[in-house]
Amino acid sequence: MSSALSPRKRHCGRERGGGEAGIVSALAERPGKGEQTDMWREMLPSARESILSQIRSFEYSQKNAALVSAAALGLGGMLLYWLRSGRKIKTIDMGDGWWGSGERPLKGKEDASIRPFRIETSDKEIEDLHRRLDQFRFTPHVEGAAFHYGFNSSYLRKVVAYWRNQFDWRKQVEELNKYPHFHTTIEGIDIHFIHVKPSYVPHGRAVQPLLMVHGWPGSFYEFYKIIPLLTEPAKHSLNEGDVVFEVICPSIPGYGFSEAPHQREFDSIATARIFHKLMNRLGFKEYYLQGGDWGSRITTNMAQMLPQSVKGLHLNLVFIARQGLGKLIRTVLGAYVPWLVGFSKEDARRFYPFMQKNVYDVLRESGYLHIQATKPDTAGCGLNDSPVGLAAYILEKFSTWTDKSFLYKDDGGLESKYSLDELLTNVMIYWVTSSIVSSMRYYKENFSKDPDLSAHNRVGVYVPTGIAAFPQEIVHVPRVWAKDVYKNIISYSYMPRGGHFAAFEEPRLLAQDIMQFVRKVEQL
Amino acid sequence: MLLEVFLVLGTLLIYFLFSKKKEEMLPFKDGWWGKGQKPVTKEDSSIRPFKVETTEEELSDLFRRLDQARFTEPLENSCFHYGTNSVHLRRVVSYWKNQFNWKKQVEVLNKYPQFKTKIQGIDIHFVHVKPPRLPEGRAAKPLLMVHGWPGSFYEFYKIIPLLTDPASHGLADEHIFEVICPSIPGYGFSEAPHKKDFNSVSAASVFYELMLRLGFNEFYTQGGDCGWLICTNLAQIAPNHVKGLHLNMVLVSKLGLTQLLSVLLGRYFPGLFGFQDEDVRRMFPFLKKGLYKILSEFGYAHIQATKPDTVGCGLNDSPVGLAAYILEKFSSWTDMEFQNLEDGGLERKFSLDDLLTNIMIYWVSGCIVSSMRFYKENLGKGIGTQKHEKLTVQVPTGIASFPNEILHTPQAWAKKKYTNIVSFHFMPRGGHFAAFEEPELLAKDILQFVDKVEKEQLWKKKGE
Repeated sequence: MSSALSPRKRHCGRERGGGEAGIVSALAERPGKGEQTDMWREMLPSARESILSQIRSFEYSQKNAALVSAAALGLGGMLLYWLRSGRKIKTIDMGDGWWGSGERPLKGKEDASIRPFRIETSDKEIEDLHRRLDQFRFTPHVEGAAFHYGFNSSYLRKVVAYWRNQFDWRKQVEELNKYPHFHTTIEGIDIHFIHVKPSYVPHGRAVQPLLMVHGWPGSFYEFYKIIPLLTEPAKHSLNEGDVVFEVICPSIPGYGFSEAPHQREFDSIATARIFHKLMNRLGFKEYYLQGGDWGSRITTNMAQMLPQSVKGLHLNLVFIARQGLGKLIRTVLGAYVPWLVGFSKEDARRFYPFMQKNVYDVLRESGYLHIQATKPDTAGCGLNDSPVGLAAYILEKFSTWTDKSFLYKDDGGLESKYSLDELLTNVMIYWVTSSIVSSMRYYKENFSKDPDLSAHNRVGVYVPTGIAAFPQEIVHVPRVWAKDVYKNIISYSYMPRGGHFAAFEEPRLLAQDIMQFVRKVEQL
Repeated sequence: MLLEVFLVLGTLLIYFLFSKKKEEMLPFKDGWWGKGQKPVTKEDSSIRPFKVETTEEELSDLFRRLDQARFTEPLENSCFHYGTNSVHLRRVVSYWKNQFNWKKQVEVLNKYPQFKTKIQGIDIHFVHVKPPRLPEGRAAKPLLMVHGWPGSFYEFYKIIPLLTDPASHGLADEHIFEVICPSIPGYGFSEAPHKKDFNSVSAASVFYELMLRLGFNEFYTQGGDCGWLICTNLAQIAPNHVKGLHLNMVLVSKLGLTQLLSVLLGRYFPGLFGFQDEDVRRMFPFLKKGLYKILSEFGYAHIQATKPDTVGCGLNDSPVGLAAYILEKFSSWTDMEFQNLEDGGLERKFSLDDLLTNIMIYWVSGCIVSSMRFYKENLGKGIGTQKHEKLTVQVPTGIASFPNEILHTPQAWAKKKYTNIVSFHFMPRGGHFAAFEEPELLAKDILQFVDKVEKEQLWKKKGE
């Protein structure tokens, strides 16, 4: 039995033999099964005895004391760390930033006031626009081009004619001002947002704060149709239970009426932090998030950064950046045995043929992404100077990303889902704020880094998540893939129709999905 | 496991050994690119003299647009990393408006005789310069030089005198050329095709017809950028007419196992892959000089190959936008290090007058959109999918490899396609726009190449 003792202990020469040996020898005897419980009952007191005797026989000395305290500290520390890390979810570091021009002022606190804001226009602005529309130089397209070469210039001429002669920017500005707008300075730049509260809250109903984030080439304006459905559902016969929202739609810095960052490296994580600060400044501790396109990435980062503030995350687009060998294999297998890799029938229908839908289509549609992620100042320069060029660039996306079959139409199918007034209002937001270049820089700031190193991909999302998968979205992400990042998917819906600009195109469908998701979360 | 690996490697090896590139000819591509239906009557094949013209209206319209330009402030310390720096662009625009003299530049453009002729339904513009004086009994050798994007026939204006009159410029005058510089259809003063599918083979066929129409049975051809592709196709279509093919840029579209291995191991075993020291110096580290460079510099090609009408739209309406787009290339393709400079190093190798003249050609002809469509017609179906990419070139080829070219192609790779490389030289300096930036170096290389080809021909004749 003494061989069971470590050589060091034997060398110490301490008379521990008795107690320890006693335990060891007791354990060494292997009793039959039935007797085991009785054995333990018998063993316990003797074990206790031996431990106590050991403690008593422990000689006090300085060396001992040091060893013991060190061991205790070490053990205690390890225990504490293990306990905490087991419970604590990995989050993205919040960090801090300064995006104003020049050096960050050392003294003085930032002005945290929330200032009401109204969009304005002037005769000068409208005349300048009209002059540029009049002098547009048009290039005839090749015969049979439809939208395969980009925006069809014959149809563009019609759009320009409408813009020049029928579109009423003053009227649209009034439309934009129907919701309250504000500005507030965060991290050195002015953040623009609209804040819409329900006009009437039924007795006992809780109002959920909901932050909705737009993408490119959209704006806060994309949410104008869905806002009333969320703030006053009953009025629009949407009584999905007890959910009523107050909606906050900010403009991403560099987009629309939010000031553009003056420093480099303003990415989605900085945006997430700024939006958290915004919600905090508005007095919210917990809130829901909704987003598509860049909004999806920003709200995801927000959930990764401060999960305790995010009651729920709802997305209409899922970004999956990490491609591994496992995914590749699952992709190949999924074409033949979808059920084996966790794909539903609808997943398979939307996902395959793989090369066509995920490689060729994506290559065909991502030229803008490539040039904006590398040379945004070049790509945007002419667009800030030619409103027609800007409109062609932006509206091409509203065509193809709403429905891929629109490529075959001479008019890009634009007016089958949207009115020219609303399309041009969104374009005008980019035009009057001169924000096209800064909006494009966002691509470079977010894609320049190696995706494997970005926090977004390494940290999971544990807040309750709802995903609305629209059929005409650029790329379909099956639930089983979304689970790689979003660990807590409460709802995943195959939407019956609609594309990339969900809130703009199918506000009712999206509102219904948001509400059923929030209802589920509230019941958790 | 090892057996499987060997089996796979063995199969691959056998496949590569037996899949030789075919030596067939590329068929001439006939077409009709005019508007509407092809008329029944025979095409007018006259060659009409042409002069570039300008009007007061054209100038005042340009100035008005320059005045109303809306600039976006660059990020602090971004130099040319985000594209053309707008602070420097403002200076360029100021020069453009106040000092650049377009009327004077038009006279410069008109100093060489220009013509137009209708081929396959569209008007083809070209410059045709004959030697000012030919010694007794000597004949001028016809040389077709093809420009690229975002260049033009104007890129050759400095090299033309070195080739038509070498003696006056201190160069060996054993070979004197008459130079023909056409504008690719859709570029400059050449009409843009009205139909789809006008690709490099179509352009080569059109230029082939042009040379025949001018009465040349045998000629040399030179090119870089799109010109490289068109001249290569021309050599594949009419090998019996192209005496020699000279290139200042080569790109390989077929990357096989050998190329992959040479990328991974070429740095350590250059000799094994036929790499010279200079090849290694220019190509490695491969991630930085190959892959990342492609990613960071080819965004324009990606969007032009997919949505040319969208991206070109605003550029045909905003001369400042057009200038920013084009000048960015003259910066980074001349020297990648120029991105670290606040002025993009633009005036280190070119004068603003020259740069703006090239841009004006795109502006006054309104051709930016059609110039971009060429990318879609060539790349739109995918790289490596077209027939001409699978065929080799047997015509004697000379390659001038410039150190600051966007991507370096070693001779070991080039010779898989160009089976008859007569000369391959590492040029001491210069980038993508070789003729524009280093006309003398390029001229010398062309002359020595032609010399080799002519001498080889003589020996062959003597041998018969």
